[in-house]
Amino acid sequence: MSRKLHTSIAASLLVLAVSATAAQAQTTVTFWHSFNNANGRALDEIVANFEAVHPEINIEAEYVGNYNDIVARLQAAIPANRGPDAVILEVTRYGLFADAGVLADLTPYFDADPLKDELYDYARQIGVIGEKNFIVPFNSSTPVLYYNKDVLARAGIEGEPDLKTFDAITTAARSVNETLGAEGITGIAAPGQFARWGLVMANGSDLIDPMSGEILLDDPKTLEAYEWMASLVTEGLASADGVTEEDNGRDAFLAGKVGIMMNSTGNYVGSRSALGDKLGVLPMPCNPDCAVPIGGAGIGIMATSQQDVQDAAYEFVSYAASPEANAIWFAATGYLPINKNSAELPVAADALASQPGIDVAINSLPHAHGRARTPVVTWMRTTEYDMWQAMALGQRPVAETMTQFAADTRAEAARLGN
Amino acid sequence: MFDQAVGDVHCRFPVEAMSPKLTPYLLVAPLLAFIAVFTYIPIFTSIDLSFRSWNFMSPDMPFVGLDNYARLLGSQSFWNSMSVTTIFAVVSVPLRLALALAIASYLKREAASSRVLRGALFLPTITSTVSIAVVFSWVFSTDYGLANAFLSALGLGKMPWLQDPTLALLVLILINTWKQLGYDVIIYIAGLQAVPQELYDAAAIDGGKRWQVFRRVTVPLIMPTTYFLLVVSVIEAFQVFTIINVMTRGGPAGATDMLVHLLYRTGFVLFDIGTGSALAVILFALLIVLALLKSRIVGSKVHYEA
Repeated sequence: MSRKLHTSIAASLLVLAVSATAAQAQTTVTFWHSFNNANGRALDEIVANFEAVHPEINIEAEYVGNYNDIVARLQAAIPANRGPDAVILEVTRYGLFADAGVLADLTPYFDADPLKDELYDYARQIGVIGEKNFIVPFNSSTPVLYYNKDVLARAGIEGEPDLKTFDAITTAARSVNETLGAEGITGIAAPGQFARWGLVMANGSDLIDPMSGEILLDDPKTLEAYEWMASLVTEGLASADGVTEEDNGRDAFLAGKVGIMMNSTGNYVGSRSALGDKLGVLPMPCNPDCAVPIGGAGIGIMATSQQDVQDAAYEFVSYAASPEANAIWFAATGYLPINKNSAELPVAADALASQPGIDVAINSLPHAHGRARTPVVTWMRTTEYDMWQAMALGQRPVAETMTQFAADTRAEAARLGN
Repeated sequence: MFDQAVGDVHCRFPVEAMSPKLTPYLLVAPLLAFIAVFTYIPIFTSIDLSFRSWNFMSPDMPFVGLDNYARLLGSQSFWNSMSVTTIFAVVSVPLRLALALAIASYLKREAASSRVLRGALFLPTITSTVSIAVVFSWVFSTDYGLANAFLSALGLGKMPWLQDPTLALLVLILINTWKQLGYDVIIYIAGLQAVPQELYDAAAIDGGKRWQVFRRVTVPLIMPTTYFLLVVSVIEAFQVFTIINVMTRGGPAGATDMLVHLLYRTGFVLFDIGTGSALAVILFALLIVLALLKSRIVGSKVHYEA
């Protein structure tokens, strides 16, 4: 064998050995999330950027469906020891997992992380139950009011519409129905659960008091808000299609078949892609309160993961909330900035300058409130869909439905011990 | 002997050394183990869980006695599901069997057109239920669906197919019937073809009219087939899940929330495994009772000899 060949083989073996050692040293973090399409691509970019900075950590990001799907799959995965190391959890539903000791307490990590001071107060509070921090915010949102300028103009509503109160929204939706109903265009999309919660808050109430845990489902102001929301459907201003399947209302709005839609700011980029300059964005109504719920999700780490994996997972969680990652996420999706330094970065500044309406949710932040996240919230939210359908489709009176719902929720809260 | 059958090949398994009493048990052991792992252990685990409180995550599963059963039997949603499931079964099973028998009577002849039609009818049976449910969700969309577009073209108003409680259940019954019809037709054709021709010839000689022949010759002789389909379709009616979960998720407001869907929601959406298991046990007992009732009422009329 020639000397050259010997040298080549030796060099190849050395490269192989080094690669193998590097691969062995890499820590893999399995990460379950709920973002596909454009949002999924933005997340992929953030993961790739993180891995470039941290070659010793490999993030295996896996899309596992919407927030409800993640909760269901996580529940099933836990007893089978098949869960992820890090997981996106919706802000009102992680309490169930924190309460069961499934989520790692991130307080020691968070307290030592400069990120803690960079986050907006609203974002930092999202992850706290009691004195402990269980998730770090990633995608935060509030509901906003989207409208189709073209549809409203054809209904005789020129310029920026006045949609600050329930009555004003009803009037505008009725104009659209009367003018364009024959074309299959309806005034407003039936509000989804996030928007419903926002409308209850805008009417001066809540579903569950976030501080005391008091069930407010049968509060007179809650009933009043549900009466109004149900009237949108029973009076034909909103299609019943959006009651049985929330996404139908959003899809109809994106298709230009609906005048007004109240939905998460996370729908901003998708709506703008669909409607272009026809899209208008306004704050949620103040009827009379200006109050919006904070939604979205944060990333938690499983307590069962090994310590080195938890450490690696926190590196990623912290990076995902950093100005660099958050600016990319904000610009690509319309979710709120959670880091005070994100807006200064060019990618976020460009989005604010070039995408009119993307700042509406940011401007709503002074009125934004966290929501209850006790274990009963998961049960309450799941059951609320049925209650809403019964009321909106005119099968049961609002007062009777909500009174029974409140009693059932109190019983369930007592059973769950909260 | 086994050794002779394998000739010169050396058999490592000393069959002749096994006890004659033990051999049958050893031979069925793998299958028994399979059934035990995938059927009996889950059944007994479900029964055990139905007396406990568990949410998948808690390390403790406290024994709660009959609390889960009491809560279930006292809940409005359970009785609503019982009622919806019963209506579904009472309407869909006779509809399926009657339609299948009528179609099978027409398609039993061995013509090329019959064979094509049989294949076409069987297609929905082998098509993915999820795909069917998604397509029909679009078809029955109130504002953007094909069904209402058709009605509008005829000058008729829109129907709230999936928003009206009665219509939503009716739509599910029709879709389920359409999907399962092909299977029922094929089984009925086999039953009809097994009826001896001599009996029809004898009935014709006796001057039997068409309806009389059908009622007095065909129906009694295909009773084993009808009985089989009745048992299968009732069980199937009590287990419908996919179409509901994709099309209505039990809505509107519980109008299509059948027992298995309620079981899924209780166990895997609300994470109340104890109550979900109690529901599974009740469903299991209910199906056994129904099978016994069918055996008593219909079974006595089934004759396997012509």
